[in-house]
Amino acid sequence: MKLSTQMVVVLTSVGLLSGSFLATVGHLTKERIALNKQRETEKAIIQVVPGIVSSQKLYEERDLSVYGGKDAEGNIVGFAIQASGIGFQDKITLMLGTNTSLKKINRLAILDQKETPGLGAKIANSEFFLLYWENRDSSGTITLHKPAVSSPEELLPTEVNTITGATISSEAVLNIVNTSLEQVRKIIKEGKLTGEAQDVN
Amino acid sequence: MTNNTFILQSSPHFKDKDSVPKIMYTVIASLAPVVAASLYFFRFKALALLLSCIVTCLVTEALFLWLRKKPLHSLRDGSAVITGILLAMTLPPSLSLEFAIIGAVVATTIGKQVFGGLGYNIFNPALVGRAFLQTAFPVAMTTWIPPAALKIQTATFATPLGNLRFQDAIAEGTLTPLKDLFTGNVGGCLGETSAFALILGALFLLSRRVIDWRIPLGILLSLTAFTGSFWLANPEKYASPLFHILAGGFLIGAFFMATDMVTSPIIPRGTWIYALGIGIVIGLIRLFGGFAEGVMYSILFMNAFVPLLNRYTRPRIFGERSKG
Amino acid sequence: MSTKSIGQEFTKGLWDENPVFRQLLGLCPTLAVTNAVINGLAMGMATSFVLIFSSLVVSSIKKFIPSQVRIASYVVIIATFVTVADRFLAAFFPPISKSLGPYVPLIVVNCIILGRQEAFSSKNTVGRSLIDALGMSSGFVLAMLLLSAIREILGMGTFLGYQVMGPWFEPWIIMLLPPGAFITLGILLALALQIERKAKSWK
Repeated sequence: MKLSTQMVVVLTSVGLLSGSFLATVGHLTKERIALNKQRETEKAIIQVVPGIVSSQKLYEERDLSVYGGKDAEGNIVGFAIQASGIGFQDKITLMLGTNTSLKKINRLAILDQKETPGLGAKIANSEFFLLYWENRDSSGTITLHKPAVSSPEELLPTEVNTITGATISSEAVLNIVNTSLEQVRKIIKEGKLTGEAQDVN
Repeated sequence: MTNNTFILQSSPHFKDKDSVPKIMYTVIASLAPVVAASLYFFRFKALALLLSCIVTCLVTEALFLWLRKKPLHSLRDGSAVITGILLAMTLPPSLSLEFAIIGAVVATTIGKQVFGGLGYNIFNPALVGRAFLQTAFPVAMTTWIPPAALKIQTATFATPLGNLRFQDAIAEGTLTPLKDLFTGNVGGCLGETSAFALILGALFLLSRRVIDWRIPLGILLSLTAFTGSFWLANPEKYASPLFHILAGGFLIGAFFMATDMVTSPIIPRGTWIYALGIGIVIGLIRLFGGFAEGVMYSILFMNAFVPLLNRYTRPRIFGERSKG
Repeated sequence: MSTKSIGQEFTKGLWDENPVFRQLLGLCPTLAVTNAVINGLAMGMATSFVLIFSSLVVSSIKKFIPSQVRIASYVVIIATFVTVADRFLAAFFPPISKSLGPYVPLIVVNCIILGRQEAFSSKNTVGRSLIDALGMSSGFVLAMLLLSAIREILGMGTFLGYQVMGPWFEPWIIMLLPPGAFITLGILLALALQIERKAKSWK
């Protein structure tokens, strides 16, 4: 065989073989990977909207999704808003649980963050940060209490706590929450919320 | 010829009465007012931190000299003591002693000995120790207590710069008065609070010509120009240059840290670039960075350029052509 | 062709030619993902998987590959196994896959793997290549374990998530950050050189 022909044959067959092998592997794992992702979202929704048994995706755009949390009768009892924004280091993705009027925040969960370990990363920690987000009054704009306090009782209902030494990360989360609440209010006003409804469960 | 061995030494061939220990002990003497001020303002805490840093630096240095089979008498040159004092002066008074000891070990090993000891280190050892602590224990390193002389009891207390950066001090009207910054009756690291004591020590150093006057002057000029231009543009939002000079670690950094002979350039033109660079980086960090204070990082940052500056600002030898 | 005994072929990867401590190869993942033992271990395993299978394939088809296109072929083979490892982790160990992030796909450019194909598998038998790959993998996993154990214990006070330091211990956050990785690796490299020097002077 001529050298040039041999080169073409070898490269083509190596490429073909690995391509078909990968296609099989991709096919075998595709469903599972999608399922993992979905499970993660569902877990977060149930965590932030207490007392629900199922959820439904109501709206989706870049960096913002809204899920409706349903009780046993199928009534929507609260929203779970998944939103992303820029933190101190990288993108922060969070899940915010509210009541149906968006005037009360039940709970907050951080889905993904790459803040500084030991400092900004405490935004994912209940004791330092998320605990202070429970049952907040979100009828207006939520503000940050500076400097940090050590128990939720010291905060006004419209305030959340700062993490000592990580003001920027705390502010980033607050900004994402305030912006996404604003956006969802607008979406509801425009009547787009149930436009592309699709069942998650 | 009585002595037939030649001494081979690389340039510069200075002949001077100055010796390493003499310079080092002058620096230690110049630190006396600062140390005294820190003892006055923070009492026993300052003493404990100071002693643990100095002792740890000496012990670590001795250990390394022994491991590297070098004579122990070079301990007496005083450089380890200076590292200890300077490190202690940059620590917050409420820091626990074990952190100070970790910082002193890191300053001596990673800051100095791994490069080959005094004269070979690229970065200021005390600042390496402090940078390590700042990153390792960020909360402990940014927890401040009020000076004992102020007689107030609060758990947390902001530094003047922290107040400015994170509490909107100008808008709230709580900006620390310049008088307090000058005497030192404010929160902050042990040795950075009293501008008065720092200036006393600095004048002594300058009068003995131990430090290069270009370095503090250059840092002062560029920081003033940088913060001044923002202040003139919007005094509602930015603090005055005088505030930036008196608050935080500017004075201790400009006179005692940036001027370290080993880690600053040797040629005047390089020295100017180095000093102006430090001032601008301080301004950038203080005004736009994620930290309230930037003296430490700016000096370390410019330290890294010193070998390059020494290389590119080398004077042309007589007769050498400018090109090729 | 290598003339070492089978045992030597394996053990050289553990110390004499340890990819991290002696050859200074594959330092990017070594520095990037060793902030927790579980990540270091997963990275070590994924890299081993790719190295072993790439070595097997390359050494068995080495006769058919013209030398002009050998690097291209090796890279395709390596990339295939890397993608398998990446998909496998994402499907069965999602938390690990998430914390390793882009570093699993980056195994493709890990110099240990391409280096072993070029330096060893393309010149030796399938059996020897397998032993070599096993040795190198073990050396790499050991290095990752050592580095990540030091960083996790000092940075979080835990080992594999279990608390090993008492409540008095204040975690050194710097160890979880890039500077901690460089400092630890630097100290370990210095120690490795020192041990090597001592060992030579005894011989």
